[in-house]
Amino acid sequence: MECAVIRKVFRTISHPGDSRRLAKETVDVLAGHLADADALHDLDIILTEACANVCRHAYGGRPGPLEVRLAVCPGAWVELEIVDWGKGLGTDVRFENPGPDSEGGRGLYIMRMLSSACRVFRRGEENVVFIHKDIGAARWKT
Amino acid sequence: MENLTIRRESDVLMLKYAGEITLEITGDFKRRLDTELGEGDVRAVVVDLSGVPFMDSSGIGLLVSINTRMRSSGKAFYLYQLSQPVERTLGLVQLLDFFQVLKDEAALSGICG
Repeated sequence: MECAVIRKVFRTISHPGDSRRLAKETVDVLAGHLADADALHDLDIILTEACANVCRHAYGGRPGPLEVRLAVCPGAWVELEIVDWGKGLGTDVRFENPGPDSEGGRGLYIMRMLSSACRVFRRGEENVVFIHKDIGAARWKT
Repeated sequence: MENLTIRRESDVLMLKYAGEITLEITGDFKRRLDTELGEGDVRAVVVDLSGVPFMDSSGIGLLVSINTRMRSSGKAFYLYQLSQPVERTLGLVQLLDFFQVLKDEAALSGICG
């Protein structure tokens, strides 16, 4: 489907509070396009999980730069790139749901379950979590 | 944590949080619970989630850790009145049947009595 893709970039430092605010800021922009509360909640969780991962792991628990790159094709899809310049997740990337007693390790599983496509990769100095979410035409604002 | 309300019904500790449960607050929540559990005998902990509009995997981890802690010491842990977003998130990670959930006041009275 051809569309005029809308792009926007959001930046912060990866403190827990600031990261959550970055996710909310992105969702606020998406709320201008999407009418469906469940789709917005899904994207809010995806963004919050990805940004929290940067807070916890990217810079060894210390703050560092965090960027969200948003692309919207109104009526069709949303794409997100959550980017950091830290140590990355390496090759040990697991999208499985851990056992019920596990206190962590659900973030990537949640992102995968709520998206149409989810990839984690390195591009030059950047560590990228890429999300593509198809959203049916009826769930958009006209 | 001004959004956290704590009260005791005999030896049942009731916690109600109003707001988002994310990485930002889980550490403080655990520390408040630690303090409360150190002050008198507690048979069960109940967490009221009716006022939680958003919870991420940090919040899920918090609930799992409380559950593990209580059960490993022979005590009980219950969730009470899940908000719709919390129920959806716990369902997504297949934990709705893992936790003991009290759906209404009658169920709550049953464990406080």
